[in-house]
Amino acid sequence: MKKLIQFELRKLCAARLTQAAFLTLLLLSALLGFSTYQNMYAFDGNSREGTGRAAVEIDQSIAENYGGLLTDEKVRRMMEAFQPTQDLHGMHAAYLYQNALQSALFCNFSDSNGNWNGLSVSDVFGTEEIQIGYTYGWLKTSQNMVKLLILSSFAAAMITAPIFSGEYEGVDQIILTSRYGKTKCSTAKVIAGSFTALFLTTVVSAVNLIYAFVLYGSSGLGCSILFAPADFSEAYIPFNLTCGTLLQYQILLAFTGTLGITGITFALSAVCKNPMLSLAASAAVYFFPVMLPVPETSPLFKFLTLLPIYHAQFVSLMSIGQCSGSVLYAQLAVPAALLLMGAGIFISRRVFAKHQVS
Amino acid sequence: MELKTTGLTKKFGSKIAVNHLNITLSNGVYGLLGANGAGKTTLIRLLCSLQAPTSGKIVLNGKDIIALDETYRHLLGYLPQHFRCYPDFTAFDFLLYVSALKGLSEKNAKKRASALLEAVGLSAESRHKIKTFSGGMKQRLGVAQAMLNNPHILILDEPTAGLDPKERIRFRNLISAFAQNRIVILSTHIVSDVECIAEEIMMMKSGAIVRRGNPQEIPSEIDGQVWECTVPTAHAKRYAAAFHTSNLRNTDRGETVLRILSDHPPMENAVCVPPNLEDLYLFYFKGDPQSEKAHSI
Ligand SMILES: Nc1ncnc2c1ncn2[C@@H]1O[C@H](COP(=O)(O)OP(=O)(O)OP(=O)(O)O)[C@@H](O)[C@H]1O
Ligand SMILES: [Mg+2]
Repeated sequence: MKKLIQFELRKLCAARLTQAAFLTLLLLSALLGFSTYQNMYAFDGNSREGTGRAAVEIDQSIAENYGGLLTDEKVRRMMEAFQPTQDLHGMHAAYLYQNALQSALFCNFSDSNGNWNGLSVSDVFGTEEIQIGYTYGWLKTSQNMVKLLILSSFAAAMITAPIFSGEYEGVDQIILTSRYGKTKCSTAKVIAGSFTALFLTTVVSAVNLIYAFVLYGSSGLGCSILFAPADFSEAYIPFNLTCGTLLQYQILLAFTGTLGITGITFALSAVCKNPMLSLAASAAVYFFPVMLPVPETSPLFKFLTLLPIYHAQFVSLMSIGQCSGSVLYAQLAVPAALLLMGAGIFISRRVFAKHQVS
Repeated sequence: MELKTTGLTKKFGSKIAVNHLNITLSNGVYGLLGANGAGKTTLIRLLCSLQAPTSGKIVLNGKDIIALDETYRHLLGYLPQHFRCYPDFTAFDFLLYVSALKGLSEKNAKKRASALLEAVGLSAESRHKIKTFSGGMKQRLGVAQAMLNNPHILILDEPTAGLDPKERIRFRNLISAFAQNRIVILSTHIVSDVECIAEEIMMMKSGAIVRRGNPQEIPSEIDGQVWECTVPTAHAKRYAAAFHTSNLRNTDRGETVLRILSDHPPMENAVCVPPNLEDLYLFYFKGDPQSEKAHSI
């Protein structure tokens, strides 16, 4: 069995598609991470302004001044410090962006002119304890990772698409007449395919996290996502999670998404008679849920979010709320993925074993 | 060991590829001869459980091969008509892969792979990628992979296709030495390939076995029906088209000797000669549209 798994891994790794997928994702991770960093902007409301590294330093030094638990007193101090200096020309102050903390503050505590809206911390956040600090870098990393993890789950499907269908080009006749061709060979294929897919997700996640750690440090990881600058949909997730927890969920869901689509791909690979067909079929199955005109309020949407692409996108799934007690709806992604993988393994093994050569 | 088919039938739509076949094969080398489309590959695929029969069954020592499943495949070695492998694997690695599929231990796999590569004349190329191989080299690798597990039932579908004469001889010797106490089935169109190694010839036509027997004995069935006639070379083509001609041979006197199948003397100077297997093949397939076509070209 060990030997068979090794051979299957070797076949997967020798495929140009696999090598291209790994390289592309690594390159994209580096590019996206770097361009995000370079495009950062911050103005302390006073004298310091900068982009890239300077912006991160400005943002971090502002966060140092106000970091820790969000209190009414801090809200007041920040409102004073970040008072808009220029004319807003009718724009709502919530859309003003000077720096990360100012943007988060104005989203919650400003009226249209940039004055305090009269709300207290408990008015906005109830009894939740909101830790604030420099979260911008990590939240941007999470945003980038959504794109990269959607791609990496898709790449996992592309890599595994030929795993059974590729054999139908002729070697199936050798495999299916060999002692273990209908049993252990399929198992080895499933193990090697899943391993490669999960390894790709691990590499993409690890590279992005390490990169972010080097650029932004770990200080923002303990801060709440609810006090996020205006451009983060993560703030719609109705839980007082820390950035660190958010990333943990995101990565867990990236794995479940990858597992789910890999399971579906196994089945399609065994059913389709050639690799191109199985590749097209798994791409279609992966992307079709986001193309359906189902509004987020529909009960069907709740079901759709359990499909692999929404695991990688993760914000919609996380926004759904709790299903009962303290169990997040998003946690249903785990059984959903296991179900898809289980079904994929069952179907692919059966179909491959019963395959009639022609 | 006894492999037996009862009422074995395979249909593709309305096309009957294998037609209610009842055959029993015990240890020995069998040559499966037949024209294109006779149903050889289909029969072989049924015997390898690569296709499910439309009706009928195949039993090994009384047990259905479908039920035997892994136990049956453990005994089986198979070379498909169109052998495919992984072009980026080396010959040696490919054999190790097939060995793993066949359940050989790693040590045994390496030993068998080396021995078989030697036996098929590929030991010098064993570490070369298969994509650098010629057609005949690939075919020899195909023969080697089929024999890795020392199969008790070895089924080779056109194993000599693409082999040069030297390799054909090497192949025959390899199979003859291997065949002791095993069932070996070779399908081919090339009569001479099986003439000397097969203990039994099975002539297949339109999905049925029309004749079975010892290759030295069965040609006698058409004793008195094979003639050699000498005609001027200028007219040879016309004569050849008019009769069922199995061979044409030019002499250095501007004449051609035709070997003709006919139940009466085809011309005055015709000399009756002893029939061989090729004559018998032609005798059985003379009504076959495929061979007719080949014949008239
Ligand atoms: N998958 C298939 N679908 C439909 N018809 C098929 C299929 N496979 C074989 N046939 C038909 O069954 C008949 C027997 O084909 P088969 O391949 O068994 O012949 P063969 O004796 O091996 O011929 P050859 O010498 O050319 O290899 C042919 O008429 C062929 O067209
Ligand atoms: Mg054939």
